[in-house]
Amino acid sequence: HQVLVSFQPLLLSLRRGQASVSYAQSLLGAPETRLTTLSNGLRIASEETNQATCTVGLWIGCGSRYESEKNNGAGFFLEHMAFKGTKKHPQSALEQAVESMGAHLSAYTSREHTAYYMKTLAKDLPKAVELLAEVVQSSSLSEADIEQQRSVVLRELEEVQGSLQDVCLDVLHATAFQGTPLGHSVLGPSANARTLTRNDLVEYINSHYKAPRMVLATAGGVNHDELVGLAKQHFSGVSFEYEGDAVPVLSPCRFTGSEIRMRDDALPLAHIAIAVEGAGVASPDIVPLMVANSIIGSYDITFGGGKHLSSRLARLAAELNLCHSFQAFHSSYSDTGLLGIYFVTDKHKIEDMMHWAQNAWMNLCTTVTESDVARAKNALKASLVGQLNGTTPVCDDIGRHILNYGRRIPLAEWDARIEAVTPKIVRDVCSKYIYDKCPAVSAVGPIEQVPDYNRMRGAMYWLRF
Amino acid sequence: MSLPARLGAFSPYLQACGPLKALLPGAGNTEVLVKSAVCGHFGARLTHTDIKIPDFSDYRRVEVLDPKKSSQESGDARRAFSYLVTGSTAVVGVYAAKTVVTQFVSSMSASADVLALSQIEIKLSDIPEGKNMAFKWRGKPLFVRHRTEKEIAAEQSVDLSELRDPQHDKDRVTNPIWVIVIGVCTHLGCVPIANAGDYGGDY
Repeated sequence: HQVLVSFQPLLLSLRRGQASVSYAQSLLGAPETRLTTLSNGLRIASEETNQATCTVGLWIGCGSRYESEKNNGAGFFLEHMAFKGTKKHPQSALEQAVESMGAHLSAYTSREHTAYYMKTLAKDLPKAVELLAEVVQSSSLSEADIEQQRSVVLRELEEVQGSLQDVCLDVLHATAFQGTPLGHSVLGPSANARTLTRNDLVEYINSHYKAPRMVLATAGGVNHDELVGLAKQHFSGVSFEYEGDAVPVLSPCRFTGSEIRMRDDALPLAHIAIAVEGAGVASPDIVPLMVANSIIGSYDITFGGGKHLSSRLARLAAELNLCHSFQAFHSSYSDTGLLGIYFVTDKHKIEDMMHWAQNAWMNLCTTVTESDVARAKNALKASLVGQLNGTTPVCDDIGRHILNYGRRIPLAEWDARIEAVTPKIVRDVCSKYIYDKCPAVSAVGPIEQVPDYNRMRGAMYWLRF
Repeated sequence: MSLPARLGAFSPYLQACGPLKALLPGAGNTEVLVKSAVCGHFGARLTHTDIKIPDFSDYRRVEVLDPKKSSQESGDARRAFSYLVTGSTAVVGVYAAKTVVTQFVSSMSASADVLALSQIEIKLSDIPEGKNMAFKWRGKPLFVRHRTEKEIAAEQSVDLSELRDPQHDKDRVTNPIWVIVIGVCTHLGCVPIANAGDYGGDY
């Protein structure tokens, strides 16, 4: 992690003696995100704050969900190829250009989004936009580099096996969305890493790197108009037409209640995730589900709170030594999602932990109280504000919001939507998604104690109701 | 921890990665080659992304066969069907259990042949007026008498205070024409012969 140094505006530094900005101020303090659209459909969004640094990047609405079985992993491979040189800047020149600015160039690929972004000084914005435009539009993709990157990708695939959290959650998607593109892992199978050709990568770019699906997002000390000018200069050439007019439309992805067990008794801890189908990003149920997840919260064995932790499940975990860690998660995609709990536990505690985790879900659906919801709302609001601690998180927020919602949702709006959640809404929404639904379960490690699927399915309702 | 050991259970589902070959050609990566020898023809590199979830279309219900259709809409209908089948089976099962238990318990009660002995059917039109018929019933003689009007009147006008066991005639018969009694005399248990003797059989 790099720590971004941002200089406080002069006005705020006058309040040196006081605590930092209050919550109400932070809601309204952020300047409005300005959004412009170019003629080819590319959107430009920026949040201008008085800082010496900025993050500028390109967020593209493509990911492993758009891949087929044959080219699954192309996006990930392409991410590896991105910084291997462009037509104008071969690899060393590209590296030199970036390093000399003292900038950081990175990228990530997820199931529905791809991002290439650069963290740099605000004054270097023009160069940054130029380099990004080249990386995205005219990456050289030389055959030699592709061959070399194969082994890198394969090695990364092997390394990922060591990160059991990633394996568990990847495999959860694979089983929950089996037979659909959302089941694909971002990394792709090893066979594809061996056989993807330059053609595949070029075809991927031509099919998905289209201007209407791209957002040039910036946060920091940038001027929006200047940015628009630079975008016009460098991104006007991005195509907005598809070959054969075949616009790739995402079809819905079927969720299947199912399980996958990767048993290996040689591993020290079991990693288990249980999830139901959740809400898509644009669904109105997103905020109540976020509040619900805040009620369950997260826990780690290093938490010092013990039996005084606010989340009931965390209290039980601490008192009964149920697990090493757990977290409630909600992965949201454009039209569906996975709402679940992931936990890491000792092999003798799996059954108990599963029981109490599902018990926590049942509580959400039936007996959640005013104080639970109030506490969760506060925690959620704090985390939403706290996450935006730097130009890069803000820029990422902007990019993802524009892709998901078509606009940046300001903190004040999130606050209002969170405030509107009541215990009844939490109960109703949770019942809609959780109560008596078939879960998808994935388990990795010494998992003999994981209950039979029918038992876990039976714990998704209470006969007393 | 070796990849083959961990993913061994999944080898049928792993995509065949091609013939056996070392990952990094010429590298001294003997560990990888040893693993690949154990793996057989699945290649030297196995990751969780190689796991292929089997196609369960043969087992799916019709509404969830299409992977491009959300399964939420049909969820209520599928659950309703499952619960209906389960509920009906449960009801039928409980009823069957009840029947079996009842049958076993009732086997301890009187059997049919014994119960059959408890009933008797008599053709009343065979008995002429004034005459008596005797049947064996429950091991005892059963007298059925077709009474004449004179006899009925006589019985019905008996003074109850004279009787040792006062009970009016109408309380002892449903239809006064027919009197049905056990033919065992209450004195010492003799079986009277109808219309015979000094007192006409005495009943």
